[in-house]
Amino acid sequence: MTAESPDAAPRPSRGRRPRAPRTAGAALIAVVVLVVGGGLLYDVIAVRTGHPARRWRAELAHQLAARHLDDIRVRIGAGGAVLFGLWFCWLAFVPGLRRWLPLRRPGTVIDRAGVAALIAARARELPGVDAVAVRVRRSGTRVTVSGAADPAGVQRELRAAIARVPLAGPHQLDVRVRRSSVPER
Amino acid sequence: MSRSAVNRCMLAVAGLVLLVGGVLLLAGGFDLYGRIGLGMPSWWPLGTPGRPVVSTASRTRWTDRAWWWPTVIGVLVLLVAGVLWWFFAQLRRSGPSTVDLPVPQGSGVALRLRRRALAEAVETETLALPEVARARVQLTGDRRGALLRAVVRLRASGAPDELVERFHTGPLANARTSLGLPDLPVDLRIRGAAPRRKSAPEPPRVL
Repeated sequence: MTAESPDAAPRPSRGRRPRAPRTAGAALIAVVVLVVGGGLLYDVIAVRTGHPARRWRAELAHQLAARHLDDIRVRIGAGGAVLFGLWFCWLAFVPGLRRWLPLRRPGTVIDRAGVAALIAARARELPGVDAVAVRVRRSGTRVTVSGAADPAGVQRELRAAIARVPLAGPHQLDVRVRRSSVPER
Repeated sequence: MSRSAVNRCMLAVAGLVLLVGGVLLLAGGFDLYGRIGLGMPSWWPLGTPGRPVVSTASRTRWTDRAWWWPTVIGVLVLLVAGVLWWFFAQLRRSGPSTVDLPVPQGSGVALRLRRRALAEAVETETLALPEVARARVQLTGDRRGALLRAVVRLRASGAPDELVERFHTGPLANARTSLGLPDLPVDLRIRGAAPRRKSAPEPPRVL
């Protein structure tokens, strides 16, 4: 949930990023724990009530006792565990939701594609603009305009356009105008 | 603890277990302790590359103690029960279907509003704002933890600052008044118009 608790909401939290709920990652771990833990629990109880152990558990115990630490499979498995561990820690501590940019009003966000669409629509209306490419990153926006437009005028208009998006954090605008004697496409 | 916090704790615990276990196995497998001259105590099972991963001796060390099997079974039961609780917590609806509304003292009337009805009213009002193409509104949580979640699709000719102001003074203010919750928190997500502009409507398909 991206929600702040109600008593924390009135705090003037400029630029507080929403945090992804991470449901898929937690579901993956839950399924693995359920399968491994449930299977192990079933087998341990079966053995305690007088049944023979399943083949997979006897084989697993044998392999763990037979393979040494410098075995290539053990090394690969340990390396995989390290990579998965790093990935899960990354998922646990990083906010996520990179496509949403926080706005000044707490709890309000806008998606980067939306900002790009607004800027591109404004740029296309300007005189002398043939083609527009907009790239919105989290820290800034790069607009590449091709055509016979006046660079200073384009820059001024687009600066006004991005000022209408009340972004919470600092956001740079980088406007490049390319002369194209032959209209593109 | 919110659902996100629970999920992130699960991820952190699983990640740290995998990370520490993998690093210890790798350190033993590549004889790291021998190379940097760090003498590990002899009881440490992962000290040298020639050691097995889990020897039969360490696996059966406590199997004859009376506490071992109840402990193993108890830990496994807790693990499986915790995961099942997590699954059902995901399926559970995020609160009752109605919200209690404030009534004058002593009137003896209980007033309840369906969350869905309020959400639809806010949605209709939001759609009526200028330059709004689509809107989806949900009200989650009970009265104390209520949260209004709105996803609004803004046309490319619109202005986000005006939309935010109009949403706060119009639909959101009305919802706050209706619920009697002046501090109702809101989660407003503004999306842009669909990036592809269709030049002409598709011709009707004739069979």
